[in-house]
Amino acid sequence: MYLNETQEQVRETVQAFADDVIRPAAEALDREERFPAEIFDEMAKLGLFGIGVPEALGGPGFDTLTYAVVMEELSRGYASVADQCGLVELISTLLVRHGTERQQAMLPDILAMRRKVAYCITEPEAGTDVSGIRTTAEKDGDGWVLNGGKIWIHNAPVADTGFVLARTDKEAGTRGMSIFIVDLHARGVERGPKEHKMGQRASQVGGLNFSDVRLGRDALLGEAGRGFHMMMSVLDKGRVGIAALAVGIAQAGLEAAVDYAGTRKQFGKPISDFQGVQWLLADMAKDIEAARLLVHSAAVKIDRGLDATRSCSMAKCFAGDIAVARTADAVQVFGGSGYIRGFEVERLYRDAKITQIYEGTNQIQRMIIARELMKKGARA
Amino acid sequence: MKILVPVKRVIDYNVKVRVRTDGSGVDLANVKMSMNPFDEIAVEEAVRLKEKGVASEIVVVSIGVQQAKDTLRSALAMGADRAILIDATSDVNQDIEPLAVARLLSRIVEAERPDLVIAGKQAIDNDMNATGQMLAGLLGWGQATFASKIEIADGRAVVTREVDGGLQTIGVRLPAVVTVDLRLNEPRYVSLPSIMKAKKKPLEERTAAALDVDVTPRLKIVRTVEPPQRVAGVRVASVDELIEKLKNQAGVL
Ligand SMILES: Cc1cc2nc3c(=O)[nH]c(=O)nc-3n(C[C@H](O)[C@H](O)[C@H](O)COP(=O)(O)OP(=O)(O)OC[C@H]3O[C@@H](n4cnc5c(N)ncnc54)[C@H](O)[C@@H]3O)c2cc1C
Ligand SMILES: Cc1cc2nc3c(=O)[nH]c(=O)nc-3n(C[C@H](O)[C@H](O)[C@H](O)COP(=O)(O)OP(=O)(O)OC[C@H]3O[C@@H](n4cnc5c(N)ncnc54)[C@H](O)[C@@H]3O)c2cc1C
Repeated sequence: MYLNETQEQVRETVQAFADDVIRPAAEALDREERFPAEIFDEMAKLGLFGIGVPEALGGPGFDTLTYAVVMEELSRGYASVADQCGLVELISTLLVRHGTERQQAMLPDILAMRRKVAYCITEPEAGTDVSGIRTTAEKDGDGWVLNGGKIWIHNAPVADTGFVLARTDKEAGTRGMSIFIVDLHARGVERGPKEHKMGQRASQVGGLNFSDVRLGRDALLGEAGRGFHMMMSVLDKGRVGIAALAVGIAQAGLEAAVDYAGTRKQFGKPISDFQGVQWLLADMAKDIEAARLLVHSAAVKIDRGLDATRSCSMAKCFAGDIAVARTADAVQVFGGSGYIRGFEVERLYRDAKITQIYEGTNQIQRMIIARELMKKGARA
Repeated sequence: MKILVPVKRVIDYNVKVRVRTDGSGVDLANVKMSMNPFDEIAVEEAVRLKEKGVASEIVVVSIGVQQAKDTLRSALAMGADRAILIDATSDVNQDIEPLAVARLLSRIVEAERPDLVIAGKQAIDNDMNATGQMLAGLLGWGQATFASKIEIADGRAVVTREVDGGLQTIGVRLPAVVTVDLRLNEPRYVSLPSIMKAKKKPLEERTAAALDVDVTPRLKIVRTVEPPQRVAGVRVASVDELIEKLKNQAGVL
């Protein structure tokens, strides 16, 4: 393969961990909607959080391609587990790029999962259109006072620290937003109930309410008014991560479907002998490989400092779409069994759907691709 | 204490092995290769001895093709300190036989002077179970094979061996060769930071020719065949019928 020796070694070790530890636990985690603290502790010991954090700041310092490989393999085990890795990667990338030395001092605790984090943007009136956020942070002495509410925040029910996008200048639009590092155990922070979701049910998602939460001078990440842009600047990497996660879900479905088709007999033969089933499997395999290549090419563009926006949106959009379509095919190959709780493909189909929604819906990805086409031309 | 661990690159144990059409061996082109699982256990044991403060340095050695460097890097990521590749062939299909491997290892042992060699009891590709024993013979060292427990104290290794019908505990004076069995330990997953660190650890290259060891095969593979297909079982109607079949048909009662 085109992965280098180190990337291949990382892939092998994460794959073994996912096969031995994550995948066998997924069914129960989904059923119980449980936060898998014990798996995250082991992952932290293996250095699977903050993959891109440089060695000087306590991480392993891997490139985006390696990160994509890790996300796919973890997700092949269980998407909820991979999503925690993606969340930590996003937050730690923000801290590495924009944090002060004092703020970066929390990185070791974040990478060790001693400090759980949340990335808090979405609000009831501001989903796709982030410019609609109403949460405000008003200057107060050397600090700020935070007021507002966030919904559907991954880790909100369990997190220690929130990275919260708030408006600091009501007149300045997207230039009037800033990111604050908020202690979620502080006075004035209230957590909403945990949501019960269709898929990725081990991920704890819920709301947060802030009423007169006092923030110190150190709470501001980067420059005031640059919050929206800082957030956007890590989105490319975030999209590669979610795209790789989607590929991992689809890959798990393909593996299950191929195994099942080889053993399930109808009409006196394995159903893999029937062309109708073979074509399903072939289409699954080719779409998954195509999605994987898109993900890797987007990752390599980021690593080489090339313009990656178009590629990242293509990867996220295509991988999410095929994850849904091809896990549906995996259900099809399983026949009635695929529709029954407890069969892996039934869960995979549910887990796949959100990959078309979060980290920018797939409509928005198409919008970005089209905008890039109009702006920079069809060749890129 | 210094420990030397030989590691072999073999066909991955998850791969469904295919016999080459001419019966000359199994197909190794484009299949996933990994460290021999018994060697992984040997490396793990050495690393644990180092973590306990018993060992101070671990040197891993692989013999074969250039691609065995990947295997050495895995051992370095697990915690070995240095690696030596002995380039013995450029043909991925050529197996270096136990005697040649033992001779090459004995040259490395003479140069490195380890106190202990920990090796896998056998490689899962051709299951020879001979290299450790031959190496001990060539060196004139004591040996303890099939280890399921190793303790080092007062210049001796106390080794529990898995033998037919039970466990045997023996003491061997160091330096010695110990070969390890499956139940000795469970190898760790390597961490991402240790993979990064392994890239900076020294990997030295030698050649079989420079060590003056002839690696020409002495064995000729006459034929390789697939194992027989499993045949379907039969359903019995009652316990009595089962006992009857076990007695008269299978002859196991
Ligand atoms: C499980 C889960 C975890 C989440 N985790 C987080 C988190 O950790 N942090 C966080 O901040 N948020 C999180 N979210 C929120 C997520 O990012 C939003 O749900 C997402 O951005 C979409 O916003 P919305 O749900 O308000 O949908 P809407 O924005 O209301 O969109 C509804 C539909 O309209 C379409 N649409 C909207 N605008 C356009 C347009 N201009 N052109 C074409 N179509 C359009 C959308 O594509 C979508 O199909 C999470 C959500 C879920 C379900
Ligand atoms: C919710 C639910 C309710 C149900 N209710 C009832 C009920 O009330 N009564 C009842 O009797 N049954 C019921 N069933 C069973 C249902 O009818 C079967 O699941 C269905 O007939 C498929 O059979 P199967 O699940 O054994 O899949 P299989 O027959 O094993 O099929 C597996 C896959 O192989 C494909 N396949 C099989 N043969 C071929 C071929 N020759 N060529 C191409 N492709 C082939 C199938 O299309 C499918 O994709 C129910 C199932 C479910 C999930």
